[in-house]
Amino acid sequence: MSIYKIHHITKYRYDRIVKENTNQIKIFPFPNKEQEILSHELHITDEPIIQKFYDYWGNATAYFTVNQPHQELIIDSRLIVKSQQKEINESLSTIADWNQLNSYIHNDIILFDYAQKEIIKQQAVIENIIQMIDFKSKSPLQAVKEATQYIFENYKYVKGITTVETTVDEIIELKSGVCQDFAHLLLQILRNQHIPARYVSGYICPNKNGMRGEGATHAWVDVYLPNVGWIGIDPTNNCYANQNHIQLAVGRDFNDCTPIKGTFKGPANQELLVYVSVGYEDGSVFEDENTVQLYKETPASAPILPIQNQQQ
Amino acid sequence: MHTVTLNLYRMLLDKYQTRTNFWDEMALPNGEKRSHYQAIFNKLNSIDLDVINRKEEIARKMFMNQGITFTIYSGDEGIERIFPFDIIPRIITGAEWQIIERGTAQRLKALNLFLQDVYHNQNIIKDGIIPLNIVATCPHYNREVFGINVPFNIYVHIAGIDIVRDSDGEYYVLEDNLRTPSGVSYMMENRDVTKSIFPELMSEYNVRRVSDYPLELKKILVSLAPKQNQNPCIVILTPGIFNSAYYEHTFLARYMGVELVEGRDLVVDNHTVYMKTTNGLKRVDVIYRRVDDEYLDPLVFNPNSLLGVPGLLAAYRKGNVAIVNALGNGVADDKAIYSYVPDMIRYYLNESPILKNVPTYKMENLEERQYVFDNMHKMVVKKTNESGGYGMLMGESATSEEIEQFKNAILKEPRSYIAQPTIKISTVPCYMNGKLVPRHVDLRPYALFGPDGFKLVSGGLTRVALKENSLVVNSSQGGGSKDTWIID
Repeated sequence: MSIYKIHHITKYRYDRIVKENTNQIKIFPFPNKEQEILSHELHITDEPIIQKFYDYWGNATAYFTVNQPHQELIIDSRLIVKSQQKEINESLSTIADWNQLNSYIHNDIILFDYAQKEIIKQQAVIENIIQMIDFKSKSPLQAVKEATQYIFENYKYVKGITTVETTVDEIIELKSGVCQDFAHLLLQILRNQHIPARYVSGYICPNKNGMRGEGATHAWVDVYLPNVGWIGIDPTNNCYANQNHIQLAVGRDFNDCTPIKGTFKGPANQELLVYVSVGYEDGSVFEDENTVQLYKETPASAPILPIQNQQQ
Repeated sequence: MHTVTLNLYRMLLDKYQTRTNFWDEMALPNGEKRSHYQAIFNKLNSIDLDVINRKEEIARKMFMNQGITFTIYSGDEGIERIFPFDIIPRIITGAEWQIIERGTAQRLKALNLFLQDVYHNQNIIKDGIIPLNIVATCPHYNREVFGINVPFNIYVHIAGIDIVRDSDGEYYVLEDNLRTPSGVSYMMENRDVTKSIFPELMSEYNVRRVSDYPLELKKILVSLAPKQNQNPCIVILTPGIFNSAYYEHTFLARYMGVELVEGRDLVVDNHTVYMKTTNGLKRVDVIYRRVDDEYLDPLVFNPNSLLGVPGLLAAYRKGNVAIVNALGNGVADDKAIYSYVPDMIRYYLNESPILKNVPTYKMENLEERQYVFDNMHKMVVKKTNESGGYGMLMGESATSEEIEQFKNAILKEPRSYIAQPTIKISTVPCYMNGKLVPRHVDLRPYALFGPDGFKLVSGGLTRVALKENSLVVNSSQGGGSKDTWIID
C-alpha cells in the first residue's frame, strides 16, 4: 500500500484575448477497489461551477465554461490517493477459458465494445504477432502477457515522434512511440482475439526502479478475462499495473479518456504547459514539466477558425 | 370549337389507365372509380382543359413567389430547386385514416419506450428481444447521452413516419423518421395552393385541416421548458442558409413566432444556454434543433463542427434546456433496428402491431444475405444509416454492374446494409401534360408527441415519383408532391 500526493497543473496560454472557453475534463480517479481518494482539490481560473457526472464507460467527467475574455486558463488538480496492488492469481486463467470469451462479449454491451477491433491496413502484422505467440495454445492471461512482452521488446520508446492522433498503422510503421501508442497497439492485438480490452489513462508514480512514462501521466491497458475479471497490464514497462499506476479514465481508446479537451473563441495561438509532481509519504517529490506548442504561429493571411480546439 | 376541345379532354380523362398488379387509389382495375374519388373526377371532367392548365400555372407561380425550394446534394447544376407539385389532391377516407392514426400512435409509443430503455436499463437487450450487437454497432447509438433524463421521458416529439400501400391496399411502414424529419412546410404550402385553385371542391369534400400544426408544435415546445419559466424562450436552431430545409426552418419560426438562430448566436454559461441579443444575453429554455446530433456540440461530438454550441450537452444533461427531438434518436430509426419494431410493440405494449413492417433482410446474417444475393432484382437495398434516397439500389431497374457494386459494398460492410423485397407501392392520378396518369406515391404524415399525448396531423406529405413507372419518390431523386386530403 502506498499514499501519493499528485499535483497536476494544466496551463493554457493564449497570445491574444480569447473567450467562451468550454472544457470537458476526466482527471478524477477511476472508482475501483485498489485506489482510495483521500482528498481531491480542483481549482480552475475564475473558479467556474463544474458539473460532474459519470460517462458511458464509468468515468467521472466534468464540464465548465470560462466565458469572460482571458489569456490564460489554469486547471490545478491536487490529489491524495491511497493505492494498493491487485492480487493476481495467474492459475485462474486456463486454456479452457477461450470458449467463454464469446459469451461474455455477447452478454455485455460494454464488453462487446471493448472487443471490437479497428479496421487497419497493417492487419497482416497483427496476425503475424498473434500467430507467433500462438494465442490459443495457452491461457488467455499468458497470451496477454506475451503480447505485452512482444511490444516491450520490439517497439522502441521514443518521445516526440507521435501525437494523440497517431494511428495503429503509423505506430506499426514507426515501430516506436510512447505509452499511449503501445496501449493502442496492444488493444488492437487483443481485440483481434476477442479479448475485451480497454485503454486506461492515469498517472504512474515512479519508484526507485524508474518506470518509463511520459512524465507522470501514463497510459496502459485493462483486459477482462474469464474467472479473473479486470486486470491492468502495461506494455511500456512490461508489467502488470500495480500500486504505482493510478487510474483516471477508461475507454475504447484515447479519445474516450482525453484528460482535458476544450474549445474557445478568438484569433489566438495557444501554448500548453503540463506540470505533474508526485509526492511520497517520505516527502520526496518527483517533478516534470513539458511545454507543448499546440499551434505554430499562424501566418497573417491564414483564416482564423471561429471555434478552436484544445486538448491534452 | 369549344365543345370539341371539351369532348377530347373528357376522353383523355376517361382514358385513365391503371397499372396492372398495382393498387390505384382512384380507380378499380375495371375502370370504375372508388366512391371517394367520384366527385373530383366529375369536377375535372366538367371543366375545360384550359382552365385546368391555368390552375396548374397559378400553382406553379404561387410556389415560385413563395420561394418554396429544396436542395439537391448531388449533380453539377444549381442545387436549389422548386419542389414539383401536382395539382390533383390525394384523397384518404376518414375510416382508413383511423388505421394510420392508431398504427402510428402505437408505433411511436413503443419507439419512445425503446429509446428510454436503450439509454437507461437496456431491458430489451437483457431480455433477448434485440441482440446487443445490433445496438452496439449502430452508428447512431449515442453513448454520450446514455443516462440523460429528458422531460416527461419523451424522446420523439416530432416524427415523420413513411407509409406506403402495397398491391393489396394494405398499409406498410417503410421508415420511422425520428430525428429531424422535414417536409411539414410543404404539407402546409400544398394546402394553401389547393385552397386557391380548388376552393369549391375543398368545401364539397369537407377536408380536415392541417393548419394547426405550428400551433400544436408550439404548445409542446412550451410545455417542455424547465419548470421555473412561465414565459419560456424557444428557438429554432438551423444549420444555416445552405441546408436543404432552410426554407422550412424560416417557415416554422415565422408561424410559431419564435427566434431562428444559428450555433454562433448561442452561448453556454454555467450549464445554461443563452442567446446573444442586442440587449445582452437572454436565457434559452427550449431548442427545436434542425442540426444533427453529431454537429450539435463540438466539445463532445464532431470537433470541427461550426454549426453547434460548445457545452450544449452539459446544459441538456442538467435539464437546463430541452432539446427537440431528443439526442440519440437515430438508434431507433436505424434500418436494421427497424426490423425489430413489431417485437418492441409486443414487448413494451403487449399489443399486436396495427401497421405492418416490410420484411427486412439483415446483410450480416449469412443465410439472409445469400437469399438476397440470389434475388437481387426483386430487392431494394438500403444503407442502414442514410435517408432521402441516397445510398439505395432498386434491384428491379439496376444494371448488373450496379448490382455487382452493391454486392461488393455489402460484403465489405454487412452491418451498413439491409435489403427489402420491392413493395409495389400504390398509384394515384396526376395531371401531366394534359393527361390524367397514374404515378406511384408514399405518404409521410406528421405526428406530434407531448405531455398531453399523441396527435397525428390530419394530412401529410404525399410524395410522387413523377417519372412513369418509377417507384422512387424522394425529392432528391426527382420526386414531387401533392396535397393530401383526409375526408369525413
